[in-house]
Amino acid sequence: MKIKDHSSRGFNAMKGVLLTILSLLCVLPFVVIVSGSFTSNIEIITNGFSLLPRGFTVEAYKTIFKTPEDILQAYKMNFYYTGIGTALGLVIITLTAYVISRKEFKYRNTVSFLIYFTTIFGGGMIPWYLMYANVLNLRGTTLAIWFPALVTPFLVILMRTFIVGAVPDAVVESAKIDGAGHWRIFWQIVLPVLGPGLATVGLFQALGYWNDWYRSSMFSTSSQTWSLQFYLYDLVNSTQAMRQMAQYANVNTSDLPTQSVKLAMSVVATGPILILYPFVQRYFVSGITVGAVKG
Amino acid sequence: MKKLLSFALALVLCLSAASWAFAADDMSEEANLVFYVMGDAPKDEAVVEEAINAVLKEKFNATIDFQFSTWTDFNQKYNNTLISAGADLIYVANWENYGLNATSGAFLELDELLDTYGAELKELCGEGNLNMCRVNGDLYCIPALWPEYVSLGIKYREDLRAKYDLPYPTTLENIEAYLNGIKAADPSQGLLRPTNTESASSLIIGFDTAYLLADKYAWVAPFGMPYGLAADYDTPADVYDYWFSDDFAEDCKLFKSWADQGFWSKSALSDTNDNEAYDNGLAVAEVAGMNPNKQISSANSFAKDHPDWESAYIAYGENTGVIYPGHATQNGTAILRSSKYPERCMMILNYIMTDEAMNCLVQYGIEGKHYELDADGFYHNLDDSFAYEGFNTWNLRVNEFKLKQPTDVALQAMFDKYAELGAQTKWPNINIWDGFTEDYTDYSAERAAVANVMRQYLAPLQAGLVSDVDAAVEEFRAKVTDAGLEACREGFQEQWADYCEEYNYQ
Repeated sequence: MKIKDHSSRGFNAMKGVLLTILSLLCVLPFVVIVSGSFTSNIEIITNGFSLLPRGFTVEAYKTIFKTPEDILQAYKMNFYYTGIGTALGLVIITLTAYVISRKEFKYRNTVSFLIYFTTIFGGGMIPWYLMYANVLNLRGTTLAIWFPALVTPFLVILMRTFIVGAVPDAVVESAKIDGAGHWRIFWQIVLPVLGPGLATVGLFQALGYWNDWYRSSMFSTSSQTWSLQFYLYDLVNSTQAMRQMAQYANVNTSDLPTQSVKLAMSVVATGPILILYPFVQRYFVSGITVGAVKG
Repeated sequence: MKKLLSFALALVLCLSAASWAFAADDMSEEANLVFYVMGDAPKDEAVVEEAINAVLKEKFNATIDFQFSTWTDFNQKYNNTLISAGADLIYVANWENYGLNATSGAFLELDELLDTYGAELKELCGEGNLNMCRVNGDLYCIPALWPEYVSLGIKYREDLRAKYDLPYPTTLENIEAYLNGIKAADPSQGLLRPTNTESASSLIIGFDTAYLLADKYAWVAPFGMPYGLAADYDTPADVYDYWFSDDFAEDCKLFKSWADQGFWSKSALSDTNDNEAYDNGLAVAEVAGMNPNKQISSANSFAKDHPDWESAYIAYGENTGVIYPGHATQNGTAILRSSKYPERCMMILNYIMTDEAMNCLVQYGIEGKHYELDADGFYHNLDDSFAYEGFNTWNLRVNEFKLKQPTDVALQAMFDKYAELGAQTKWPNINIWDGFTEDYTDYSAERAAVANVMRQYLAPLQAGLVSDVDAAVEEFRAKVTDAGLEACREGFQEQWADYCEEYNYQ
């Protein structure tokens, strides 16, 4: 007994130390970012980064929040795009996946192929752009920013696999014999067991929308419709470009903070997610693991 | 990629050309024009646009809406705008491939329009300026009318030079003496911070130190032509070989001796670009990518943070005698071929560039709200919702109307000095090199291979970070030949010869 106690205590201690080191390794980079965001730019250039801010200043945050309405607007747009894109996307993806999972659907192979095909061959950037800008005429609208990403082929295939795995054919058949139509089967038989699948696909979808900057960059004609990531990304790019532009044009570049602003921006962009994460984490984790076992 | 782009362009343009050719501009129809410009929108975009449009609506029954590329992916978006016919008027510049886009058919030929609707503007531009904007004989853009010198040079610490009684860093020898003098007096002081900011992408040099070549040679292109070619400013059509010459090996040895003396870090090849080192005193000179404007920026920064420091600037052209203003196509305005209202575009462009009140409104916003002029006539910003040249319309600058800022006095003094020197060259104040655009579609594969070799072998040579220069030079020459240098050179020289002939630079 004694020996066992010792060994388990030793094991626990080692576990504690190892996990502490591991979690420190995860947290430290973020600490550096936060501390850097409170350090003056000159300090960073001359002495590099440090764990605790030297020459504490909130100058970088002042730059970002000089016009708080802009960043709030960007946050608002991000919630809007993520909300509408995830909700609508989830509905379309699930319904599509259900249809192509049914054996009695005659063209399911053709439809699956058409969906799958787009994951291998794409039209390329220019036709894609022309499609939304000239054919659909969506340039400058918010639709152009959330619409193109509604359905991801990979997620449709993932969802189809979920449905096939979670709902045995026999169950659907017996429901059919009892007189249920497709709507009833979908709502009352399939959907109730699809929780983990919905969580996983919804998570992917939401992360994709939250982190997107490219469509804002391509299709926005006003900063009012920018997503948060693009707002922040463009702030970084303009400080950089203004310096380069000085080569061609007489622009004043002496007052642009860079390093510290970039760091402060990372904090602002990730902050809310970090605060939110512990509360939704268990749904995420259970969604992914349950899905993994079943799928 | 380029081919695909030109094809897409041609397709879109054919379709749209058909539509406007038949519709002569009917002034009774309101024209809502899009003016595509670079950079980010000012906060007060709508306010200033409203003021502009109030006038344009009455005079031309038209409105303009400035649309902005932002600074993210701006090259891609600029091309997208061209192929999607997303604008009527557009900012053009040699660094945005003005020449290539013009030959691809993106822009409308302007000669007739200018005669009919822009006579005043035509006179203001002058034949010389317009000629520099011609591509294969046709005019595709109206240049900005503000002669600007972006002459490369060395930005250095005049206070340290005077303190240690060192020579002015004019020639390469004097630059070396200047750096060595500071190093001897204060060994802890950082000297240069050259970096490898994708120098090879222009296919001219491998590392930033090679900007110094502009201080040694009186070349037509400041630090050499692509693919290791060179030509003297006085005889631009007479192209010769630099990479395989003894001069090249000599220069590499000089760079090595500087690197060995510790002028820059041993890790310079992988260091990231640090624009702020000089302003913060971590370097005592900048030799790459400098221009008079950057000197003014540093001088302002010193005045604010380190009043006892002094920044000074010597253009390399002052040493070689080759100095010229920015090319006319550095900032210009074109009309998209797809525009439904080309006549109205020209009328409005003519109006903005010849009417002082309108020009100031577009460039500086509303007087009294966004800016004011002080007793000496200097511009002072009142509201950063619309900064100086808030729409980034450097293409609409007109010398006569341009409002001066206090810092412009020093800048103008530099420009005046360079203009005087430039007037004494064989081609008085003519920028030959920047009017040329290379079309490398036919040899893009070889070009990419040459660029790779330059990154791998030329960069360490020009950074002086090889142990045996002669061996490294030989290795570089062998590798770059294998990569397909000849094909690139042939293609380039053919185009360059045509260009020199077209503009009579013989």
